[in-house]
Amino acid sequence: MNDHSRALTRAAPILLIIGLAIAWQAPDVGWLRLSDAESKRAELMTSALDALPDQPRVLIGYDPDLGTYAEIRQTARALLADLLARDGRLAFVSLTAEGRALASAELARLGRGEANPTRLLDVGFIPGAEAGLVGLTRDIRAGQLDDGAFTREVELEGIGAFDAIVVIGGNDLGPRSWVEQVMPRIGDVPLLSVTPIVLLPEVEPYLAGEQLAAGLTTPRDGAAYRESLELGNLSRLVESTEPRPLPLLLGMLVAVAVLGQALGARMLEHLRSAGSRSIG
Amino acid sequence: MRRPTLTALVVIIGLLLLADTLVVNAALSQLAGVAVDAAILVAAGAALAGVAALGVRRVQDLWRQRGDPIGAVFVIAGMAAMLAAGLRPGSAGTTDPAVQWLVAALLVPIGATLFGLLFVTTLGAARRALATRTREGILLVAGALVTTVLLLPLSGSAGAGLADAATWSLAFPIGAVFRGLLIGIALLSAVYAARVLLGIRAADE
Repeated sequence: MNDHSRALTRAAPILLIIGLAIAWQAPDVGWLRLSDAESKRAELMTSALDALPDQPRVLIGYDPDLGTYAEIRQTARALLADLLARDGRLAFVSLTAEGRALASAELARLGRGEANPTRLLDVGFIPGAEAGLVGLTRDIRAGQLDDGAFTREVELEGIGAFDAIVVIGGNDLGPRSWVEQVMPRIGDVPLLSVTPIVLLPEVEPYLAGEQLAAGLTTPRDGAAYRESLELGNLSRLVESTEPRPLPLLLGMLVAVAVLGQALGARMLEHLRSAGSRSIG
Repeated sequence: MRRPTLTALVVIIGLLLLADTLVVNAALSQLAGVAVDAAILVAAGAALAGVAALGVRRVQDLWRQRGDPIGAVFVIAGMAAMLAAGLRPGSAGTTDPAVQWLVAALLVPIGATLFGLLFVTTLGAARRALATRTREGILLVAGALVTTVLLLPLSGSAGAGLADAATWSLAFPIGAVFRGLLIGIALLSAVYAARVLLGIRAADE
């Protein structure tokens, strides 16, 4: 590697950041959209929510990963707002420490947004990973923070009090763990999920097998779902700005260019060496 | 070395939990509940012990002037800040505004930034994988390249075509390989666990 290419390699991350910043400020272009008007996953999520009874009681398993939370945060917030718009009552539980931290922050944000506090319940953090999930199916203790009607119902009926379970996933204790540990122990309660794209290969078979009633698994699904919402007064609970597709596209094109160049050079070298061997 | 008491305990608890899943019986359910609660308590204790061990290790690093002193200072300061915010007199614990500020203003952005840095490091790793001149490296990078192209956020017929191709690749090649891997890992784990429980060792162990 000569001095010129070495300097270029060192400057590449800075140049990338500058490029992303410019793309972030550039105006939107029509041919570049995250949302897909015919997203089946978004339609499936809306259908699953439509099928819930009036004022549904929903258990929210809030365990995103800190790294990928930025990818699903807007969709997760939109889903929470959608459930509240349907007069849903939401109980938050976390099985990971970072999930608990994010759930606490989310509950505080909903409080600042003046969401009805009688519709929110903080079940808290349950340690023990899979054992904690099994424990959750046996009984739920939530009375230490709240003594409202929703709390009493949940303490009395346990996990049977809920009409649906929503898993906001991102780490090991995601939809797969809920399907494996919780679903066999409870009745026909629909399990819905919002997960980052990195979990897509893991979640896909459960969606195909209908063990997950619905799932928003890609930025495209999330954007289509958010676009379909009519939250009215509760639109204050969702983020006002959508992710910009242009910086996303630029980053992906850079990745394609870097990988393609390296792969192409290697393949060319391979072909050349194969050619010289056959001549020899 | 065989530990028959531990082995028997694990087998009994495993069978108890299995029976509780299959049979509706109040007494059995209570027993299984005790076992599950015990597992939760042990896990909670182990998590606390892990955090304490990390703190002690970093303090020792600083005291003995070994390892990464700046990293150790950051870890200790971070732990101290979170503990002070969550455990100080009058604090509301994880719902305390100070804890929530630390999470929302520091922890989440730092976590997302570290994940974002993976973009650069993963591309570097992909190039290094190709430099090893192995067939696996080429296959890995080619797969990553195709997947990235399929996920490009284009609209219109081009975007729809890419989305359909991505769905197909997930449902068939990627799905089949991933499920196969998971099933293989599950089988291997079960066999290995059974061997450990029964005290069976390979000839060279």
